[in-house]
Amino acid sequence: MNSNDGGAELRLVVPGDQIDAPPGTQPGSGVCKRGDSLVATKLGELKIGGDVAHVVPTFTKYLPRSGDLVIGYVEAVMNNLWFLDVGGPFNALLPMSLAPWKVEFGAAREHMGYGDAVLARVMEVDETHSVVATMKGVGLRKIKEGVIFEMPPHLMGLVIGSNGRTLQRLKVASDCRIITTQNGRILIDGNSEGIAIARKALQMIEETGHAPGLHSRLNGILGDDE
Amino acid sequence: MVQLVPQLLRQQLAELAANDERIDGRSRWQSRDVELEVDILYNAEGSAKVVMGDTIVYVGVKFDTAAPYSDRPTSGSLMTGAELRPVAHRKYEPGPPSPESIELGRVVDRGIRESGCMDMESLCIVPGESVWRVMIDLHVLSDGGNIFDACATAAIAALRTATVPAKRFDVGEDFKLELKSTPVMCSYTRVGGRYVYDANEAEELGGDERVHITLGDEGHLHSLQKGLKGVLMPEEFAEILAQAGVKCAELRELIHSKEA
Amino acid sequence: MMGGYGDIKLLNDDGTRLDGRAVDEMRPVEIKAGVLPVADGSAWVKHGLNVAVAAVYGPMEAHPRKIQRQDRAVIDVRYNMAPFSTSDRIRPGFNRRSREISKVTAEALESVVLVERYPRSKIRVEIEILAAEAGTRCVGITAASVALADAGIPMRDMIVGVASGKIEGVVVLDLDKAEDNYGQADLPMGILPNTGEMAFLQMDGDLSIEEYNLACEYNYKAASEIHVLMKQALLDSASRGDA
Repeated sequence: MNSNDGGAELRLVVPGDQIDAPPGTQPGSGVCKRGDSLVATKLGELKIGGDVAHVVPTFTKYLPRSGDLVIGYVEAVMNNLWFLDVGGPFNALLPMSLAPWKVEFGAAREHMGYGDAVLARVMEVDETHSVVATMKGVGLRKIKEGVIFEMPPHLMGLVIGSNGRTLQRLKVASDCRIITTQNGRILIDGNSEGIAIARKALQMIEETGHAPGLHSRLNGILGDDE
Repeated sequence: MVQLVPQLLRQQLAELAANDERIDGRSRWQSRDVELEVDILYNAEGSAKVVMGDTIVYVGVKFDTAAPYSDRPTSGSLMTGAELRPVAHRKYEPGPPSPESIELGRVVDRGIRESGCMDMESLCIVPGESVWRVMIDLHVLSDGGNIFDACATAAIAALRTATVPAKRFDVGEDFKLELKSTPVMCSYTRVGGRYVYDANEAEELGGDERVHITLGDEGHLHSLQKGLKGVLMPEEFAEILAQAGVKCAELRELIHSKEA
Repeated sequence: MMGGYGDIKLLNDDGTRLDGRAVDEMRPVEIKAGVLPVADGSAWVKHGLNVAVAAVYGPMEAHPRKIQRQDRAVIDVRYNMAPFSTSDRIRPGFNRRSREISKVTAEALESVVLVERYPRSKIRVEIEILAAEAGTRCVGITAASVALADAGIPMRDMIVGVASGKIEGVVVLDLDKAEDNYGQADLPMGILPNTGEMAFLQMDGDLSIEEYNLACEYNYKAASEIHVLMKQALLDSASRGDA
């Protein structure tokens, strides 16, 4: 990270800090108005671009958005409904009508039960943050094999890298299938040595975050980048 | 306090166990790094802080005077309290003491009490009238797995470096609490089908039952507890008991190294 | 609050206090963010001999249903003093003082957290006092603010907890234990350092209007000093790459 816009200094802000921005700048995410000025509402890096000021937070919890690819864990099953823990404040509901199987009423548990993991997509989120998920879509399925790594969602960008370069390196070095999602959960599937390499690299990213020197640390685990 | 246990995690732990591996790369009997500090709480007469991986606990020892039990007129008393407060983990909900926190307090207490490390007669002030009451409080700030060993280690370290505040109670000069021995607890959890030492958070979440063993200086057993649903065979117990013999001795050295 | 006891002298002849501080001098303060690995956000604050640790979890679904608000998040604060935090051990269990402090602290935080962003949710704030030496509710507020920022909970400003009081007829900043026990007034505040608003305000004892004004001035001065440390703690944590 630390790809600065034209060599500008990294400007970290804390909640309450007044932001120096050209008049007419609009508040983006992590910024709010206080009278005529703009104020940061989160701890993170301030970015002013176009006519919007926003803060890239150093830590953020996952908040579901329509279209997000997510890995959920079945937390409860009712007759025609699964409740998925997707790492957000609320569980997502997966109704039978949006599941890939033809399910008899009351037989939901036979297909997927408590503790199962599923690759799904967020279909809609309403203003009260009620979330509906769907499994109708390419690649969406119950996850039967593999390891799920929990990465803080705001670090997902580091895992993917610019143009997907870092993710590609991880896949090649570990010889594993790796699927990244919007809710911070990463699916790794392959042989145990490969999984161990991928885990080690992801663990390092989680621990050191945006601290400079990421690529050299990755080289240490994955081997040098060609 | 019910946590969602992902099936894939249990699957993964079983595969790792079959390969003699653990989720964080440790070997089967290897512990996380243990950091121990003593005498770090201003108002406590004895105190210790233990950090093991993501687990952070504080233990405070406080004294006051009380009337002795009528059947033990010259004997001091010992009590151990534990609270698993919501600060320590998302899964801990506010409310009255949970069975888990009560178990934690009682198991740590048993190891210390049954070892006889404290000479309760030395805590007599006026026979039949007043004795010292030793109060240990276990305070978990972050539960990253194996809070039992973290608390037990901190508790004995806090006791061994405690000063009895006689001056404040107007019964003489302050004196160091002298312990006769150092009981140490080692806990083993069944993860992926086999017992390992010092389970971390993921291993506890996807694991099964646990066994807590407290050994004294001579390697004698002073307390045992098996917690959570599950069963074990005598050979399995023999194996972890042998491991505890080694590990408890190592922890004992660490505890002694912090004493003045 | 009692009037001074006859034989306890809290002010030296040269006007300094028992610990050598001037009347408008604060006790030393240290602040760290991101200290509890398992929490979403956390902070550690040492103020004089006070030590407070705060953890934040959330936002999460508000349970039980009856506390849920359809249009906003609720802030669920637990202020707790560890049994070994005071000279005489505190028996664990329901404590009225802690319950009251939890309530007013939650209400203070509700005026800075952008709660409308998270309808039907709750944000848990767990404040643990590990060592107490007068002013614990203020240290708790400061720790809670830093922990909330560390957890990425959006706030329009932070809140700094500070207190001033009166001893032997003299207004002083930041009472220590003896001054709190034997002094004549205590004025704890929670101040928003960027707007100057007060989100937390309590007082007990005896203060004239002029004395209140001076105590208030001392509090504002101290709040800006502590704010610098709060900011530094968060920036350090951000550069370390702590999640």
